[in-house]
Amino acid sequence: MTYTDWLREDRLPHIYCAGCGNGTIINCTLNAVDHMGWKKEDTVFVSGIGCSSRAPGYISTDSLHTTHGRALAFATGIKMANPGLHVVIFTGDGDLAAIGGNHFIHACRRNIDLTVICMNNQIYGMTGGQGSPTTPVGALSTTTPYGSREPTFDLCQLASAAGANFVSRWTSYHVKELTRAIHTGLQIPGFSFIEAAVQCPTNYGRRNKFRQVMDQVEYFKTHAILQQKAERLKAEGKSVPENSIVIGDFIRRDRPAMGVKR
Amino acid sequence: MRLVIDERRCKGCNLCTIVCPYKIFRQGAKPNARGIVVPELDRPERCANCRLQALYGRTLCGMCQMICPDQAISWKDEEIGEPTKVAIEF
Ligand SMILES: Cc1ncc(C[n+]2csc(CCOP(=O)(O)OP(=O)(O)O)c2C)c(N)n1
Ligand code: SF4
Ligand code: SF4
Ligand code: SF4
Ligand SMILES: [Mg+2]
Repeated sequence: MTYTDWLREDRLPHIYCAGCGNGTIINCTLNAVDHMGWKKEDTVFVSGIGCSSRAPGYISTDSLHTTHGRALAFATGIKMANPGLHVVIFTGDGDLAAIGGNHFIHACRRNIDLTVICMNNQIYGMTGGQGSPTTPVGALSTTTPYGSREPTFDLCQLASAAGANFVSRWTSYHVKELTRAIHTGLQIPGFSFIEAAVQCPTNYGRRNKFRQVMDQVEYFKTHAILQQKAERLKAEGKSVPENSIVIGDFIRRDRPAMGVKR
Repeated sequence: MRLVIDERRCKGCNLCTIVCPYKIFRQGAKPNARGIVVPELDRPERCANCRLQALYGRTLCGMCQMICPDQAISWKDEEIGEPTKVAIEF
């Protein structure tokens, strides 16, 4: 099998805008799932509401497209009822960290054997570009017309502090590394959280000086900095350049987990 | 193997043009029947996958296919008797 065998080809082309990064993350996830050698009937994709959350609709396994922010609550139910299933969640920054924030921290705390892939486009894409908990300071959105002034959440730090067993961040430019990270997350028992920075050309890029789709992906390429390098700079007393996106595997540990098949 | 862009799926985002080490994808010039400017292929026989996929029995490189958000890039086997070009990279 290859990853294309997991796609619902009759549903393609998908509804995403031209150049939307979500499609790339679907490719990486399906590649990683395909490497696991799982059977389709043992694999379930779960999502909430948002552009990112439409992803399971393009995948040929059973799936649940649930209510806004509640993907993790439904996924917990699936996993506790049948630990034999492999449960993978697609979510967005709004879905996971705004309306679903409470479910997120408690799923990490319980360390349930799930793999969560968050397509973080720093905006509410589906509803027209409102600011989210990850909209950077100064960024324009329909709810921050003069530039956002709120401090943001670092989703990876949140997951680490709350107890996830595996935490990693990459971008839609780093497709090979992201695929490897998702593959690691799928293998590790307990809660695995993978954040993928993605471009939303329609509702984020357009308002924030990324005129072309490529501009924001080039930005990911030039502003991403490996965690090890960021640490080294700090150790040398130098500062990490502003607006850097720190990428890498941040946490890998073996806290007691729930929902692991014995 | 032959590199193909599925014109029914491509949305013309040009992300493939920034990842190929051989710069095989170039921004297109003319819109197709669906109004999409699909990238042009510059000597696609140079692609590592076109040359070596059959030999290695797996996808090589594959960066363009992975980043393509619209699942539009793939490789097809040549038809029997189809003329093929061979590219040799030194
Ligand atoms: C209970 C509820 N509140 C609000 C909404 C409206 N709504 C739909 S999607 C969305 C935000 C989605 O943002 P995100 O999760 O970042 O997904 P994206 O579209 O950016 O991928 C909101 C607020 C809803 N569907 N249900
Ligand atoms: S609005 Fe943004 S996130 Fe939604 S499909 Fe379009 S580009 Fe993607
Ligand atoms: S597989 Fe690699 S070498 Fe071949 S066209 Fe795609 S990016 Fe270029
Ligand atoms: S990345 Fe895919 S959708 Fe975008 S221009 Fe290239 S072939 Fe078309
Ligand atoms: Mg979002």
